[in-house]
Amino acid sequence: MTELVLFFIFGALALVGGLTVVAARNPVHSAMGLMLTLFSLAVFYVVQAAHFVAAVQVIVYAGAVMTLFLFVIMLIGVDKAENLSETIRLQRPLVVLVGLTVVVVGVFVAVGGRFAWITGVVGAGPEVNGTAEAIGDDLFTTWLLPFEATSLLLIIASAGALALAFFRPRRREGKEEGAP
Amino acid sequence: MSDLVNVSYLAVGPEILLTLGAVLVLMIDVFRQPSARVHAWIVAATILAATVVTWFQWDRVTGEGPFLAFSDMVVIDEYGVIASFILLLVGALGLAVAWGMVERLGRRGAEGIVLVFMAIAGFQFMAVSANLVMMFMGLEIASISLYVLAGITRERPEADEAALKYFLLGSFASAVFIYGVALAFAGTGGVSVYDIGAFLRGSVLLKPGVLLIGMALLITGLAFKLSAAPFHVWAPDTYQGSPAGIVGFMAAGAKVGAFAGLGRIVITAFPLYEAEWAVGLAILATISIATGTLLAIAQSDIRRLLAYSGVAHAGFILTGLTAGEAGMPAVWFYLAVYTVQLIGAFAVVAAVAGPTAAGSPMSDYEGLSRRSPFLAAVLALFMLAMSGVPLTAGFVGKFGAFAVAWRADFEWLVIVALVASVAGFFFYLRVIVLMYMREPAVAEAPGTMRARLEPVGALRWVLIISTAITLAFGIYPTPLLDLLSTALPF
Repeated sequence: MTELVLFFIFGALALVGGLTVVAARNPVHSAMGLMLTLFSLAVFYVVQAAHFVAAVQVIVYAGAVMTLFLFVIMLIGVDKAENLSETIRLQRPLVVLVGLTVVVVGVFVAVGGRFAWITGVVGAGPEVNGTAEAIGDDLFTTWLLPFEATSLLLIIASAGALALAFFRPRRREGKEEGAP
Repeated sequence: MSDLVNVSYLAVGPEILLTLGAVLVLMIDVFRQPSARVHAWIVAATILAATVVTWFQWDRVTGEGPFLAFSDMVVIDEYGVIASFILLLVGALGLAVAWGMVERLGRRGAEGIVLVFMAIAGFQFMAVSANLVMMFMGLEIASISLYVLAGITRERPEADEAALKYFLLGSFASAVFIYGVALAFAGTGGVSVYDIGAFLRGSVLLKPGVLLIGMALLITGLAFKLSAAPFHVWAPDTYQGSPAGIVGFMAAGAKVGAFAGLGRIVITAFPLYEAEWAVGLAILATISIATGTLLAIAQSDIRRLLAYSGVAHAGFILTGLTAGEAGMPAVWFYLAVYTVQLIGAFAVVAAVAGPTAAGSPMSDYEGLSRRSPFLAAVLALFMLAMSGVPLTAGFVGKFGAFAVAWRADFEWLVIVALVASVAGFFFYLRVIVLMYMREPAVAEAPGTMRARLEPVGALRWVLIISTAITLAFGIYPTPLLDLLSTALPF
């Protein structure tokens, strides 16, 4: 029961946050909306007894990533006037149409009786242990290979950052010299 | 604990060697700033070593049978090893085509090599993964490398556009895929393809709605990567804006990796829902074939033409996959020969446009047979092979894919595919007509852009090798067909 109440409260908050990200005119408000969504998700993790994941969610996403977002927004400048009109004609009506289609299909599946959430886990399932110790155990035994494979992502990140940032912007130099 | 994890260095040997090669290239580049020749030796040694280890895998698999490793994260079977071989070939040819780009990029060239290595390793992980989470890791490793490669020549705004479009749509596709993993987990309680398959065999789902949506999302996520319509919109812009040298690898590698993953998921995890996913794949194939063929006709840039032709080819390969496990050998044959043709065709594009250029308007190809008989001849051959002319490998591939789909009772799909193949002749032949029956647009004068044009160095060898493969397996496909007939997921 507690779980259901919490789900409705924080589910609604997560949706509000998500809508704010899209609808807000001020990018800082968008970032705040995203933070609300991320916090609401952290509450879901706590309800599911995944304490470590919840802590990581708050520290990494709501903390570090959001700081980075705000930093970039501040660097670019908040009060710069943005042109928010769509360049593709009929985009907004089409988006509404596609969104409604997804909702209708979802309702159809749910009402049509082809719908049951958890079919795989019979009964209560094993006790969830969301401590850092339990996750560490799993991470370095069962999930060892995917965990190690993330190191390839780190190599890509460093090599990619170098490849994309380590070049001389010739165009700007040309402009400074007055060349066309 | 190590018993539980069953570590096997053989199982991930090729990926380990590629990573070692990548780190070696980076470190040597930092401390010694060597010439491109040194890098070339490291690249050759790495690819060769990875191929040798893949050969050891093949030896073990054919001798003692398939084996699982790392607590069932990866499975080394003939299916995965064949995919690894094809990916290493694609990577070697792709790097040879990109070598002009690597040299021209200067200090950034080393990063280009590293990203190609990482992409190969990621696609290999996708092909051998027996777990949806592991497959997602492989997908991300490969995709993120390709996003960066698309925009590696950032001096040009087209490259930025290509990379950004690929990145935004690609990460959306990854999100769709991981949502599919979540729903498949909700529906079956497992993320290992064997657990899912075993659960579905052991219990009848009265309400499989969530599972079916999950399955659809998994297929959609991978369809983005193999640029099947209606998820193809990124492909033309990305192929057009990316550096000419790397496009062939981007297109070919993504197709092999995504098809290897898709085949493993639908055949191993959802064999009992074949009636559902086969129809889904057939619809996807129809839309891809129709969209790709119709839009390719209207293109005025050869890279956009090849992109839309790639959409149609994704449809043709999906046609083979509708037959499920029985269609997999045909799918592998098609993939093996089509990726080689694709890299060959893009090698010609790189030779004509220059390795880092964006855009290859058709007018560049007018009268190419005068400027370079060799380039015009091989491009004509690849065009004929892609359109499926007999005596080229493209014909055998198409024939195999259509035959298995026909036997699997998708007659209507085969008829659509046949009609589209005939219509496809139009745009492939248009390129040949341009090359052989038009005068070069600008008068030929020494020192101008329209001067004679000959492929040099590695590019020349890529063209020779891909021509040889296309012709050899078109005239005598039996050895490759026999080899691939056992390449089924374990």
